[in-house]
Amino acid sequence: MPLLAVRDLEAAYGDFKALHGVSFAVERGEIVSIVGANGAGKTTTLKSLLGIVHPTAGTIELDGTRIEGRRPSDIVERGIALVPEGRNLFREMSVEENLTMGAHVPRARRSARSRVAAMYERFPILAERRRQPAGTLSGGQQQIVAIARALMSEPSIVLMDEPSLGLAPRITLEVFALIRQINERGTAVVLVEQNVVQALELAARAYVLSEGKTVMQGSAAEIRANPEVKRRFLGENSPP
Amino acid sequence: MAFLIVAPHRLNGYFVNLIYITLVYVGLAYGWNIISGYAGYFSFGQITFFGLGAYATGFAINAFHVYWMLAALAGGILACAFAFPLGYVMLRLRGPFFAMGMFGMAQTVRVLITALPATGAGAGLFLPPGSDVTSVYYWTLAVALGAIALTIWIDRSAFGLRLQALREDEQVAGTLAVDVTRDKIAAFALSALIPGLLGGGFIYFLNYIEPDAAFSSRFDLQSIVMAILGGVGTVWGPLIGGVLMTQISEALWAKFPQFYLMLFGGLLVALLILLPHGIVPALKRRYE
Repeated sequence: MPLLAVRDLEAAYGDFKALHGVSFAVERGEIVSIVGANGAGKTTTLKSLLGIVHPTAGTIELDGTRIEGRRPSDIVERGIALVPEGRNLFREMSVEENLTMGAHVPRARRSARSRVAAMYERFPILAERRRQPAGTLSGGQQQIVAIARALMSEPSIVLMDEPSLGLAPRITLEVFALIRQINERGTAVVLVEQNVVQALELAARAYVLSEGKTVMQGSAAEIRANPEVKRRFLGENSPP
Repeated sequence: MAFLIVAPHRLNGYFVNLIYITLVYVGLAYGWNIISGYAGYFSFGQITFFGLGAYATGFAINAFHVYWMLAALAGGILACAFAFPLGYVMLRLRGPFFAMGMFGMAQTVRVLITALPATGAGAGLFLPPGSDVTSVYYWTLAVALGAIALTIWIDRSAFGLRLQALREDEQVAGTLAVDVTRDKIAAFALSALIPGLLGGGFIYFLNYIEPDAAFSSRFDLQSIVMAILGGVGTVWGPLIGGVLMTQISEALWAKFPQFYLMLFGGLLVALLILLPHGIVPALKRRYE
């Protein structure tokens, strides 16, 4: 049984239907990349997984339990965490307050202090900046805070929405190394990323979304070798 | 603190009244600070709860002949209880829409009370003769101190951290398992309890209440300005802003009765330009 199984997911913003049938699965400890053009429904898919957007049809199973339509607080409590697009830190709150907010779920609340201390050990830069308002950190440091905040609840799966967005190439490499490190500790990752080359290097498997539907799936190598993917996302021409 | 406790027995009526009105403003500013400062919902209608508390207290005294403090406590609880359904509806609005919505709510309740014969309509509600300024003073002092204690608790608690998080980004707070609706309604209800309790003291202080005094925009606006001047979303901002503004206003009125409003307005504008985030944040930045 996969850790996360999404079947025929549909979602809408008012009259606008954003998802028309998204399906994918994530095994334990796996990195799965979701690839697609702007407006393909990647972020809406992540929002639906977390309960921010209510699906109009389809199912989402986490560890065999249906979670679609539940409140975000219930879903986070069950072990999903989100690193949102653009970091979305609480900019005026300190690094430590941001991290503490990550341990807000009931199962993590009592051990919030020790979890913060563990994050400082893992990311020493955060210990140095603990009192600093998160909004005053550099882009890379903010991304580390966003990732550390998501890890505070010790999720079984982390959803990452464009983690390299707005970062310098060198910092992007560091962030991808961090994602690999997190995965090596046993946390599954769903990676939505514009930087398709690096996302496919990191992922074991990938799904391609187009106009709110899953149109392709396979191992990362298969997806990377697909002529359509090469043409649309990797900037390469198909072989004659 | 000792000064505040002995004040009604040592000072003349003018100074006792001045401290009393300062405490009312400080309490109102603290109440506003919870929903607007910590939770980020800028309200222009917290006076609704002050008026409701005043009228509920007057009604309880006249109808049930209960001791006024019990009636004022009931008034505060009623205002707080009213905030739950009201918050459920109003807190769906954000930013200027919430601010305008609350302003409209205060005016709606004022007009309703003006139209109701049971509340004395526009003529107002009279209490039996025999007000006791000292007991009102201590009641208001207790409410203001309670409001400060509540704010200290909020500032240090997980609840306060959640309020600050939803002030910054409600959706992100939701993705971190914060029950956003529950927390903001709780903040709204707490911020209604304080003016409700103060309104109960106010009607007993005047021995009479009428809609324009109970739902006074002046009370509302001045307490908001005090909280902003002191520092929004801080523990000591409403106290510093409240005491400073009341004393400056009084001193200017005594020295320049013809020009005091002009001078006071000018001074306020200058202070807000010099300290746009308020006094407490400016002091923090300077000394941290």
